Amino acid sequence: MQEQISKAETGGAPSPAGALVHDDTTARWFIVSSVAYFFIVGIIAVLIAAKFVWPDLMGTIPWLTYGRLRPLHVNGMLFGWLLAADMGLTYYIIPRLCGVKLWSEKLGLATAVLWNFIILGAVVSLLTGWNQGWEYAELPMFLDVLVVVAWIMFGANIFMTISQRKYEAMYVSIWYIMGTIVWTAFVYLTGNFATLFATGTNQANLNWMYVHNAVGLIFTPVGLAIAYYMIPRSSNTPLYSHKLSMVGFWSLAFVYVWTGAHHMIHGPISQWLQTIAIAFSVMLLIPVWAAVYNFFATMKGQWHQLRESVPLKFLMSGVVFYLLTCFQGPMHSLRTVSAIVSKTDWIPGHAHMAVLGTFSFFAIAGIYFAVPRLWGKALHSEALANWSYWMMMIGGLGFFVTLWLGGFWQGWQWNNWSIPFIDTVVALKPIWVVRFFSGVLIFVGIVMFAYNVLATALGAKEEPAV
Amino acid sequence: MLKKADNNALWAVIASLVLFLIGGLLTTVVPPLVDTSWSKPFENTDPAKGPTGKLVKLNAQQLQGRAIYIREGCWYCHTQQVRTLLADTKRYGWRGVDAPISTPDEFVNDSPHMFGTKRTGPDLARVGGKYDEQWHRTHFRNPRDLVKGSVMPPYPWIVNNPVEFQALVAYLQTLGRAKDWRPANDYEK
Ligand code: HEC
Repeated sequence: MQEQISKAETGGAPSPAGALVHDDTTARWFIVSSVAYFFIVGIIAVLIAAKFVWPDLMGTIPWLTYGRLRPLHVNGMLFGWLLAADMGLTYYIIPRLCGVKLWSEKLGLATAVLWNFIILGAVVSLLTGWNQGWEYAELPMFLDVLVVVAWIMFGANIFMTISQRKYEAMYVSIWYIMGTIVWTAFVYLTGNFATLFATGTNQANLNWMYVHNAVGLIFTPVGLAIAYYMIPRSSNTPLYSHKLSMVGFWSLAFVYVWTGAHHMIHGPISQWLQTIAIAFSVMLLIPVWAAVYNFFATMKGQWHQLRESVPLKFLMSGVVFYLLTCFQGPMHSLRTVSAIVSKTDWIPGHAHMAVLGTFSFFAIAGIYFAVPRLWGKALHSEALANWSYWMMMIGGLGFFVTLWLGGFWQGWQWNNWSIPFIDTVVALKPIWVVRFFSGVLIFVGIVMFAYNVLATALGAKEEPAV
Repeated sequence: MLKKADNNALWAVIASLVLFLIGGLLTTVVPPLVDTSWSKPFENTDPAKGPTGKLVKLNAQQLQGRAIYIREGCWYCHTQQVRTLLADTKRYGWRGVDAPISTPDEFVNDSPHMFGTKRTGPDLARVGGKYDEQWHRTHFRNPRDLVKGSVMPPYPWIVNNPVEFQALVAYLQTLGRAKDWRPANDYEK
């Protein structure tokens, strides 16, 4: 196969004969800005966790009230950090899998600029309380329109690159990214535009279709695309089974979208729709187990590599969290389980395991892998990278586990209506203290990660990557 | 058939879109057509069928209050749905009367919907008439003055703005009132 390197890796010298040299400007811009937002929004995350422990903290300043910071935290992490990081890695992976340069670096750079404009607009509008009132779709309409424009620019660039590819057979990551691009278009339009034409339960149903599939059909497929690329690459081991990856992909395409109504179990929505959502939620185990089995089987005999490789540590922990979070999901869509855990703190525990523990871990792994190549320098500090892993891992576990326990306990108490509501609030205070300190650990990990990336990008260390 | 998608990008895209759209359409477009109660406003005059009453549209002041509720993100901590669980009907009832279960026909005027996902605070679906204006004033100024141990944020900028404060309370007092569920008619103003 043809050798492929990033322009930065040639260090200005003439490139080796016959090698394909990638420009990678777009990937670099997306990755740097996503890492910056990860850090900035991380501060907000710690602040809202603190507000659960000290509810009067900065409580008299309207734009720092919980109800305005929380959507900024969610949107900032989802779109400013994770989606931008995933897009950046897509700009890195796709040209390499296709054996051609990115179709247009200019268009890519314009997309990066537009994306940053959208995120800054989101910060201002959410802090002033300009909020549309739908979860995950809080951003005002003009920003929604810009997101659509940016997505078309992104999609066009990636599809044009794929259509010019040199290798006919498409590796599984390519399907997942194509799936992400087309599904996102529909999912995003449903959640941000179709909802305008509906009210009440009907609108809520569209809203949950979007919320659920923002994770299921946006972050899941692009996250898996990264994992399918990075696990074999970081461990120098071929993927265990192409067939199994097909099973995972096509079942994901079919099953995921049906499950939105499981956010309304026991709620004011038709029982039959709840039952459908539950049935398909359980079927989600198929695509999940297919992917997880494939990853584990790929690593068979290679587990010792985890000791040396930070990307592999993040990747395989992410796979384990993926297995866990996607076991929880189907289970608590069941009516009996839902009656206990729904609306409790269990749910943020679950959501953070998906978005932080799984998909952010995949993205972090991808960035640790790509950054030395993108800038043609060795990573600033391997030791610091290792520390960032342990901070996020311990902080993450503290966060997930305490919220599950706390949430379960809370739901248990709610089901005994002789306990006054406020007692169930007070009972959770120790949980929120632990959550706050776990959040601080995660944040320390983020700082180490962000510093490491920026120091590599800007730093003077000139040794080439290995 | 799906093997073809291995080498043919267009084919892969079409196949994944078709598979997606089956569920996509059946779970979004079809349900409101099947279940018409999603769009028919609540109205009942027959006590034998449960609480009587009629869903009325919010007036301008109540709508302003609703906009404040959205702006301040009250809905990240409060749900508005009494679920089909005994625990909900008991807990969100008051003075010995169980709260009626929330039904889709009570929410047909709501946009954006405020069902919510998280109960950091109690459900507010039937809070209309539970407390008087003075209670809300004290509570919004600092919830901990009334309820020790509360983690609800203080809202001095709402209380100090009489127009906003009254609008918000006016909105809260409408919640759950389409169904006339208190036999003694003992709603607070
Ligand atoms: C951080 C989460 C949080 C936010 C945000 C929040 N609340 Fe609360 N709310 C609570 C908690 C906890 C309680 C229970 C303790 C208490 O009464 O203060 C509560 C109680 C209430 C009650 C009393 C309910 C009852 O049945 O006793 C009302 C009414 C209320 N909140 C309205 C609001 C409104 C309106 C807003 C937005 C301006 C708001 N809340 C924002 C957490 C929150």
